[in-house]
Amino acid sequence: MEQARLDWGAILALAPVTLVLGLLFCGALGLAIGQSLGFAPWYGINTFPDFSHFARLWSAPAFWAGLGLTLYYGVVSTLMALVLGVGLALALRKSFAGRRLFDHVYKLPLMIPYGVAIALAVLLLGNGGIASRLLAWVGVISDPAQFPRLINTHAGWGIMAVYVWKQTPFITLAVAAVLAGMGRQTQEAAAVLGAGRVRIFWEITLPQILPGLVSAALICLAFNLGAFEAPFILGGGYPDTLPVMAWRAFNDADYGRQLEGTAIALSIALVAGALLLLSLMAYRALERRHGRV
Amino acid sequence: MRLARISSLLAGAALALLALPTWADEADAQFRSQFLEGALSWDQVLEIARAEGQVQFYYWGGDDNLNVWVDSVVAPAMAQLGITLRANRLTATKDAVDLVIAEAGAGRGIGDGSVDAIWLNGENFLALDRQQLLFGPFAQAVPNGANFAWDEADPRAQLNSRDFGTPTGGQEIPWSGEQYVCAANRALLPVADTPSTFEELRTYLQAHPGKFTYVKPPHYLGNTFVQQVLYAFNPDGTGAQPFQKSLDELGTEELARLSQPGLDFLKDLEPLLLGGPDAVRYPEDAAAAQGLFRNGEIHLHCEFGLYAVATRRDTGAYPETAEEIIFPQGQMIKNKSYIAIPSNTPNPAAALVLADYMASLEAQISKLELVGYPAGIDPWQLDPADAERLAAAAPPHFGVTQDELDANIAADTNASLVDVIEASWLAYVERKSTQPLAQIMAEAAAALAR
Repeated sequence: MEQARLDWGAILALAPVTLVLGLLFCGALGLAIGQSLGFAPWYGINTFPDFSHFARLWSAPAFWAGLGLTLYYGVVSTLMALVLGVGLALALRKSFAGRRLFDHVYKLPLMIPYGVAIALAVLLLGNGGIASRLLAWVGVISDPAQFPRLINTHAGWGIMAVYVWKQTPFITLAVAAVLAGMGRQTQEAAAVLGAGRVRIFWEITLPQILPGLVSAALICLAFNLGAFEAPFILGGGYPDTLPVMAWRAFNDADYGRQLEGTAIALSIALVAGALLLLSLMAYRALERRHGRV
Repeated sequence: MRLARISSLLAGAALALLALPTWADEADAQFRSQFLEGALSWDQVLEIARAEGQVQFYYWGGDDNLNVWVDSVVAPAMAQLGITLRANRLTATKDAVDLVIAEAGAGRGIGDGSVDAIWLNGENFLALDRQQLLFGPFAQAVPNGANFAWDEADPRAQLNSRDFGTPTGGQEIPWSGEQYVCAANRALLPVADTPSTFEELRTYLQAHPGKFTYVKPPHYLGNTFVQQVLYAFNPDGTGAQPFQKSLDELGTEELARLSQPGLDFLKDLEPLLLGGPDAVRYPEDAAAAQGLFRNGEIHLHCEFGLYAVATRRDTGAYPETAEEIIFPQGQMIKNKSYIAIPSNTPNPAAALVLADYMASLEAQISKLELVGYPAGIDPWQLDPADAERLAAAAPPHFGVTQDELDANIAADTNASLVDVIEASWLAYVERKSTQPLAQIMAEAAAALAR
């Protein structure tokens, strides 16, 4: 029997990633856990282990309202991006006039940073923005206040518009790649045997694209849950989403609030982690039920 | 043999290098004590500054006019004296204060830090003063200290020796000043309807709901607006006076009693602000508020800026029909801002030379002309000809006169009260807490003392 030898080639290849993950990510996570539990000698505070920051945070109604808003903006915008992204990917299988150009144009939002997308939302959808001014020019409204309030409300249309605008091409790209690799033999066979378009989609196409779809959707969801700039600029003020709440705590002149901010950040991580874990477990169960695992 | 010689040479060099910082520290400590005793002439300071070669100036970089002035006027002036100006622009002055405190906490004492001079006032100065991280009483020792009145008995000299109520002790030199002035968009708000008190503002908003909002605390513009409301609704009718005392002198009970009517007014005003009762919109900073003002979404906009209407009409930040108004009557907060030198400044002589230049007549005149910031020096301390030049350099006023603005000033709140008032607004007006105000303030004060 051969003795197991250390594969130095593999270890060396994995070393950079391990170092970065270990030092930066795990190190930062460890420091964050320590600080949220009261270990912050750099601020002159050392009450480790101190669960009072979490207790105070989780008993504040603002936290739960903020958590609800964070989940609402994150989940609803991911679902909308899913529907639109899959629809676009399916439509792009056909050839039509200008399809080559459209193939490049639809990817533009991917290259435009979130900050610019937020500026676009303010310029287009704000009460003093282009849409409002166009309506004033044709005489429908005469005052900025008469334009319906689309951004800076807790309904979050502006925030979700930015997320959907950026994430639909991302999902389209993921799905289109899978579709291109798959070919259309199965779909054509089903059509020949008399299956309708809807049935073909649900029973043939969707299971094929599901793995790519789930991973792309979970990436989008994870980003949306932790995003700060869109809810900060386009949000409705108090109660804020959790990342904005964390920023306000970190920005405060009172150093004691830094620990509260770290507690909020870890709460976001816990919620997002739990949500991701549940989604993956559900996906696994689904795949197992269909005998594909 | 050769190896032993080389290694002993290296060890000696290493020891020498290790000892260098302490030599430099001793030199800086000696300079500090000599200068503060008055044992150095200004020419000697200039020579030492030239040897140091650079100065690290930290200041709020949110105003492009100011940045251009620092790069094109101050930097060449410093270069002529043999000093390179390194301008560090900040998003918030608190960052520089945090840096000084963090470095001092890390054991980087005199001569070892990275901040030479900071443009600050109020809570930021109090933070440094409380931790004793300031260079020392230099303001009267530099030549251009003569441009200020230092007599504490003179009421006009108040702002030179007290910064938001904290005695400066000469550890910072006044550089600029500001008054909290509100602007009205004359295209939407005629002179006849313009409010001059907060009650008149409420009446106006009842007729035109949603046409006003203010920047939200904890931003300093929001804090100042809230302070003006508290002065106006002071139940004893003494305006800003009791708010000059520190938190220890006043006590949270008394502060709550004085602030109650003002905070109740702001709570009642909220449904009439931009966004109405459903989605009240408080802008997060000056830029957002100016955007609302430009778009005509709000008819009134308040921020620090004695000459703001003139400069912002030029840059396009305000609409072209904007004019200044006297609002609120008798309660327009006026303060000064200063250049402070921290104790762990790496280039103390260069920092002093910079502070001296900033307080010079030429710098103040060019700042007034090019940036539109009011002068920090006292005109009555200057020669009549110089005072006239200073007055002529000022940008114009629209809709009010300088005398009207001077007749309606109020002093800024004591720095120790600012954080408590800000926390009370957040709890009482924003979160609609049902706790009594005295309890909210007591908890805020306890949290800040921790």
